Amino acid sequence: MTQTDDTAVVERPATVAEAAELLRGTDGPLLFRGAGTKQRWAGRPVDPAVVVDTTGLSGVLSHEPADMTVAVGAGMPLADLQALLAENGQWLALDPATGAAGATVGGLLATGDSGPRRLRYGALRDLVIGVTLVLPDGIVARGGGRVIKNVAGYDLPKLLYGSLGTLGLVAEVVLRLHPVPQASATATVAVPVDRATELALRLRASALEPAAVDWTDADGGTLAVRFEGTPAGVEGRRVAVLDLLGAGAGWSTGEDEDVVWSRLADAERSVGEGTTVAAAGTRPSVTTDVARALEQAGAAAGVRTGLTSRPALGLHTARFDGSPEAVGPAVAAWRERVLALGGSVLLRDRPAAVDAEVDPLGPPPSSVGLLRSLARRLDPSGRCAPGRLGSWLPAPATGEDLARS
Amino acid sequence: MTAYTEEYRGLVAQLSGGEVTEAFRREVAALVGEGGLISEPAQLRTYECDGLTGYRVTPALVVLPATTEEVAAVVRLCARDRIPFVARGAGTGLSGGALPVADGIVIGLARMRAVLSVDVADQRAVVQPGVTNAGISAAVARHDLYFAPDPSSQVVCTIGGNVAENSGGAHCLKYGFTTNHVLALTFVTPDGDVVTLGGDAPDQVGPDLRAVVLGSEGTLGIVTEVTVRLLRRPEVVRTLVADFPHPEAAGNAVSDIVAAGIVPAAVEMLDELAIEACEKAVQAGYTLGCPAALVVELDGVAAEVDEEFAQVQEICRRNGTTNLRVADDAQERARIWKGRKAAFAAMGRISPDYFVQDGVIPRTKLGSTLTRIRQMSDEAGLRVANVFHAGDGNLHPLVLYNGAVDGEAERAEHLATAIVELCVEQGGSITGEHGVGSDKACSMTAMFGPDDLTVMARVRAAFDPQGICNPGKVLPTPRLCGERPGPYRPHPLEAAGVIERM
Repeated sequence: MTQTDDTAVVERPATVAEAAELLRGTDGPLLFRGAGTKQRWAGRPVDPAVVVDTTGLSGVLSHEPADMTVAVGAGMPLADLQALLAENGQWLALDPATGAAGATVGGLLATGDSGPRRLRYGALRDLVIGVTLVLPDGIVARGGGRVIKNVAGYDLPKLLYGSLGTLGLVAEVVLRLHPVPQASATATVAVPVDRATELALRLRASALEPAAVDWTDADGGTLAVRFEGTPAGVEGRRVAVLDLLGAGAGWSTGEDEDVVWSRLADAERSVGEGTTVAAAGTRPSVTTDVARALEQAGAAAGVRTGLTSRPALGLHTARFDGSPEAVGPAVAAWRERVLALGGSVLLRDRPAAVDAEVDPLGPPPSSVGLLRSLARRLDPSGRCAPGRLGSWLPAPATGEDLARS
Repeated sequence: MTAYTEEYRGLVAQLSGGEVTEAFRREVAALVGEGGLISEPAQLRTYECDGLTGYRVTPALVVLPATTEEVAAVVRLCARDRIPFVARGAGTGLSGGALPVADGIVIGLARMRAVLSVDVADQRAVVQPGVTNAGISAAVARHDLYFAPDPSSQVVCTIGGNVAENSGGAHCLKYGFTTNHVLALTFVTPDGDVVTLGGDAPDQVGPDLRAVVLGSEGTLGIVTEVTVRLLRRPEVVRTLVADFPHPEAAGNAVSDIVAAGIVPAAVEMLDELAIEACEKAVQAGYTLGCPAALVVELDGVAAEVDEEFAQVQEICRRNGTTNLRVADDAQERARIWKGRKAAFAAMGRISPDYFVQDGVIPRTKLGSTLTRIRQMSDEAGLRVANVFHAGDGNLHPLVLYNGAVDGEAERAEHLATAIVELCVEQGGSITGEHGVGSDKACSMTAMFGPDDLTVMARVRAAFDPQGICNPGKVLPTPRLCGERPGPYRPHPLEAAGVIERM
C-alpha cells in the first residue's frame, strides 16, 4: 500500500519480506513509524524519502502461553497484545503512558519507552528475548531467540532498545511474559519532592517490594506507591506501608486506584502543542536536586514547569510551557544541572522553534565513536532516520557514502 | 544453501597477526612492570585453557595489568602490532571463551579486584573486573543488599567473566541475568580507547551499546570497571526438595506451578545419576535412587511467599511426589544448594570423564526432550546425567565417558553435540549460560542463518575492525567448521596492500 505524506512516500509492508524488498529497492532517507506516538522524540530527522509504516506487521507469530513467551509483528499495538494475553491471565509487563495512544511493540522497543511498573519488571530491554531486524540494504537478521534464557550470539534485541530507528527496522519482536497479578493496591500520600525522594529510597531499602513509585508535583506533590501480588501479599503490606509513608497516607484499590494512575499518566503526557517535554535520567537519590533545578530554571526563564518522577528509578519527565525563546534556555539550564548530577536530558515533544534554542540530545557520550562505527557497518549510507541522533550521528551529505572497508 | 555469505567470510577472515617479539615484551614490561608479566613457558601453560579443558593453546605472553590505563596501554600496543589478545578472569568459563590464541597474548584481570565504591542509597556498586561474583554480595551484605546473578562457580568466577558471558545461575528465572544487573561499564575498545557504556541513568540515549557488550564473550573489548545494580534481600526465602517417581511427573509439577501464576525464584531438577554423584560428593541429603528431584525456591514478602509455598507443596502432592523435604532454616537451605551447585564437579565421583552440556528448550518441551536424550544415550551406550534449571528450560546434560577407552571421548563429544542440536530443533538455544566460546562456534549455524551471522560479524567489525580481540570465539570460522577451503578470495585490506595473509 502506497500513499504520500507531504513529500514522503508512505509504504506499509505486510510482511518482513515486503519490508526487506522495500528497503532494498529504494534510496534516500528512511523513517520507521508505528503509531507515531514518539516521532518527536530526540533530534528531528531530515525529510524522509520513504516512511515505512509498520502497522501492517501486526500479527501474532507464535504464542505459547505455557512457555510465557510471544512473538509478534513490530506494528502490533501494545493494547491489542495485552487484550490477547489477558485471555490466558498473562501480560507483557510494560505500562507506558503512550500505550493508550496506540503505541506499538516495535516503537516501544526502538524508543525504550516504559511506565511506572518498570521498577518491578524492568524495561522492554529486560523483556525482549528476540528480534527480526531489517537493515537498509534489505538484509533480514534475527537475533536472540524464542526462549527466555539464551546467550548465543550478540544481543541484537537489546542493542535495538532505544536505537530510535537509527540502525534498521525492527520488524518482529519476541517477548517474555508475566502472570497478571491477582491483586493490586496503591498507597498515596501528599508530600513535596524531598520527602518523596526520602520515602522512595526507604521503600527501596525495605523488603516491601513496591511495583511502582511515582511522584508528581501537581497539587503540591503526590507520591503513589503500588503493590502487586496475591491478595494476602498485598493486604499484608498495608500496615507497614501506611506506617512508613506517615500521616495522611491513603490506600486505594479497584477503580479508585485506576484513577490515581491515570492522573499520573496524564501528568506525564504532553498537554498541548505548545508544551515542551524533556526526559531525564539520574541516580534515584538526586531526585530532589533534579526537581529544585527544574523550578529554578523555569523561574529564571519565566517558564511554567511541571515534573513527574519515578524517584525509586531515577527517571523524570519535565514539562515546560512558555515561548520557545524562553523554553530553550530553561531546558538548557536544567540540563546543565542534571549533567552535573551525573544524569542526562533528552528532548521529547516540543514546538519546532525550541530546537533553535537547545540541542535535543545534549553533549555526546564518550562512546560516540563506537556508535558511529556501528552505524557505518549496519547503515553505511546513513539512511535510517538521519538527524534523529543529532550531531552524535551526523546525516551524511548528499551523495556521500559512509561505507568503508 | 551455504551457511555463510561472502560478506561474512570477508569479515571473519583471519588476518596475519603481528609477532610477540622481545621488543614488544619489553614495551609491555615498561607499562605493567616485570611483576605484571608472565613469559616463562611453564607458567604460561597455567593459562593454556579455561574450564573447558579439552582445548589447549599456550599464549605467547600473559599480562596482568593493575589499572584501566594499563589495560588500555597494552591494548594499544596490540592494536599497533595487530597482536591478538584474550581477556581472562578466573578461567572458570565452560565454553573456551578464554582459550588463548597462539602467538597472541592473554590479558588477565586477576589483579584488578577492588570494590571501588558502594552507593547504598542508590543500590549500586562499582567494582573492578577481578572481583568474584560472591565477593560483591559479601561486600554489601551488611546493607541487606546482594548481587542477583549466581552462577554455580560464584565463589571463584569474576564479575568481568560474568559480564563477558552474561552469566545467569539458578535464580535468573525470577531475577534475570547479568545484563539485567549492570548499569555501566568502563570499557577499553580494541583500539585502546577508554569509554563509558551506560551510566547513572537507567537508560542512555541511542542504541544500547552496553547491552551488546554484555554477553559478547570478550570479542568486542575489555571491561575494566563494572557498575552493578544491587537488590534488597527478600524478606523471606522458602525452599523445598520434592522427589518424583519419574521426570515427567516433576516436569508436570513445574508446568502447574507456572500455570498457577507463581514465579519461583528458582526451580531446579536433578535426575537419579546426578543425585548419586552429588550425594557421593557433598552429602546434601537428596534421596538416593530417586528418579527426579525438584528444588523449588520462593522468595519475597512473607504473606505472599507463605501462600504460594503452600500452593507449591499441594501441586507437588497432586503430581505424585514421594517425598517432600522443606528446609526449616538457612543452614538446611544452604545444604540443598550446596548439593545442586556441586553437581558438575561431583560427576568425577561416578565417572572418570564427562562433558558438561548447556542447551535450552522451551519449558513445555521438557518431557519429550528428556525422552529423546534417554534414547540417544541408550543408542550411544553412554550414561547421561541431567541437571537443569527446569523453570527456564535450561538443560545441563552431563555426558559420562571413560577417556581411557578407545573412541569413547569422540562418541561422548558427538552425543553432547547431538543433544544441543536437539535443543535447537525444539525451538531452543545452543547455550543458556555457558556461552558459545570456542566450543560451540561451529554450532552457531544450527541456530542462525547466513544473514544473521553476517549482521553479527558487522557488529563485531564495528568494534574490532582488525579482528584482534578474542578472535575465533562466538562467530564460526568457516574453515574450522568442517568446510573445505573455497576458492581464494582476497580480504579488502589485503587487496589494498594493508595486510598479508598468514
